[in-house]
Amino acid sequence: MTTEGFTKNRAVIWLVVLVAFVLLMVLASVLTSGDKIQGIAPIGVTAIGLIGIFVVYLATARSDAWEVGTRQVVYMAIGAALYGVFNYIFNTIPMPSVSQVSLRPAVCIPVFFGYAFGPVVGFFTGAVGNILGDFITGWGVYPAWDIANGLMGMVPGLVMLFADKKRSLNFLTGLVAVLIVIVAALVFLNPQVPGPWTGEIEDFSFWAWAFIIGGVVVIAGRFVLERASVDLAAVNLWGTLGIIIGIGFAALADIWVNGYSFATAIIGEFAPAAGPNILNSMILTPILLAAYQAIQARTGR
Amino acid sequence: MLIAWRYRERDTIIQRLDPRARIIFMLAMLFSIIQFWDLRIMLLFLGIAVLQYALARLTWRETRRAWILISFIILFMTILTFFTGRGGVEYAYHEEHLIRRLGPLSIPIVGWQIALNITAEKTIFALSQLARMYAITIMAITIPYTVDPSLYGVTFRGLGLPDKFAYAMDLAFRFVPTLGRDFSITLDSQRARGYEVEKLSGGIVAQIRKLAPLLVPVTINAIVGAEDIIDAMDLRAFGVGPRTWVRRLTYRRADKVLIVAGALLFVVSTVLAFMDVGDLWVPEVLMRLATG
Repeated sequence: MTTEGFTKNRAVIWLVVLVAFVLLMVLASVLTSGDKIQGIAPIGVTAIGLIGIFVVYLATARSDAWEVGTRQVVYMAIGAALYGVFNYIFNTIPMPSVSQVSLRPAVCIPVFFGYAFGPVVGFFTGAVGNILGDFITGWGVYPAWDIANGLMGMVPGLVMLFADKKRSLNFLTGLVAVLIVIVAALVFLNPQVPGPWTGEIEDFSFWAWAFIIGGVVVIAGRFVLERASVDLAAVNLWGTLGIIIGIGFAALADIWVNGYSFATAIIGEFAPAAGPNILNSMILTPILLAAYQAIQARTGR
Repeated sequence: MLIAWRYRERDTIIQRLDPRARIIFMLAMLFSIIQFWDLRIMLLFLGIAVLQYALARLTWRETRRAWILISFIILFMTILTFFTGRGGVEYAYHEEHLIRRLGPLSIPIVGWQIALNITAEKTIFALSQLARMYAITIMAITIPYTVDPSLYGVTFRGLGLPDKFAYAMDLAFRFVPTLGRDFSITLDSQRARGYEVEKLSGGIVAQIRKLAPLLVPVTINAIVGAEDIIDAMDLRAFGVGPRTWVRRLTYRRADKVLIVAGALLFVVSTVLAFMDVGDLWVPEVLMRLATG
């Protein structure tokens, strides 16, 4: 059996074990008080996420994007080492900071490696790079944040699953539009919910409009950036999506791991981490990509 | 720039353990801890974590910097949750007993009302959260100081990661000092040209853009250099057959005991959680304060 076949079989076995475990937990929950179903929510969400990733992988297994050869192994190692080193250095060097936006230039590394070398390299760069950075700084190992950083690199790499960058942008535009419609519809249908600060019932329909305006800005941004270059639009939009998914995953995971309230996760983690990361990535990743493309054109590799 | 690992070789019980066993135990602890909110159980987990930390014989001097930053984050997040008090763990408590109400405070212009209800449940929840986060952190923070970086590849290979990924991990750890040196050379070169990273001027966009002269040369240099490494590895038929590792890890009795202990801890925690043991516990003192 080939190595790929072996890995795939093992992945299927693990998936079956995971599904069986989740089903057993649900069954146990039903047979006991039924209240504990909330306690297994993180496992359920993680299982759904993993199944989702696995389904995407199976559907696109033949794509070159998932190939792991010598080239990918070396880029994974270099990407992870660079991310770890930059994380350490830019946290150590005394740097100026403007307002609430911190200078976090290292974030462009997983986004760039994912976009340039594929989702596997991107995921590895982010996840292992974060472990490395935490190793050098001595802050410890936090699995949820390692996966989150991995997702920040993996999502931009998904651009390789499309025949060309323009098609990937069309897909992304459609996805943003559908998501905005769903979120806005959910908020409009149920605008009265307990406020995070007071705990009293408040009207949240403002946020539906905020989402709609945000979505329109993103879609308009795609066309504006595309005028300059398709690559510029693709790397920025896929990079932004990767950061939102990655940091969003970590912030939501911390609701269950550390017991944060939803407001704490959003105000204390998601907003201060995702905002500056997106800004840093949108400025630096295109510069890095342009330099790489120039080198690529010169060396022909 | 000299980049040094936090790891130091120490003759301790913790360092004599197989890193695979330690990672399995750490994950078992993590998944056990997150099933409870009872402060008494949380203190038990905190005790296990502290014991592990003490056995690792880490000094305050070497961990001080990390602890200050992490403690700031933990305290900030706990206070923020105390203020907001709702969300993903609503099931932790269903009713609240008011000790004191602060506010409401009216915010001018937007007209929002902010009030803080200090309740018995919120207070004990904050204490449990503090104990939970410290227990997780103490377990996590010990790893970088006590696991040899050169063992990471073989450790994850032993935990089931495919050869290529485990090797990439190994390679990444080896690249770190080289890339640190490259960064240092680039920084010195740019400084010689008048570049001052400590005094970046302009708005936020300009400041971020001005970091490119540091980031781009180091990254592109590493990518260009990678081509030689790829050729060298291909010439040695990398990835054709299963890899062997210079360092081999073998489970000893203590490692097996640790793995079994971790598995038991997780199973017992899960069973207890299903039996509704370990939900939020509110001490009588707080309830008396609430009822006046």
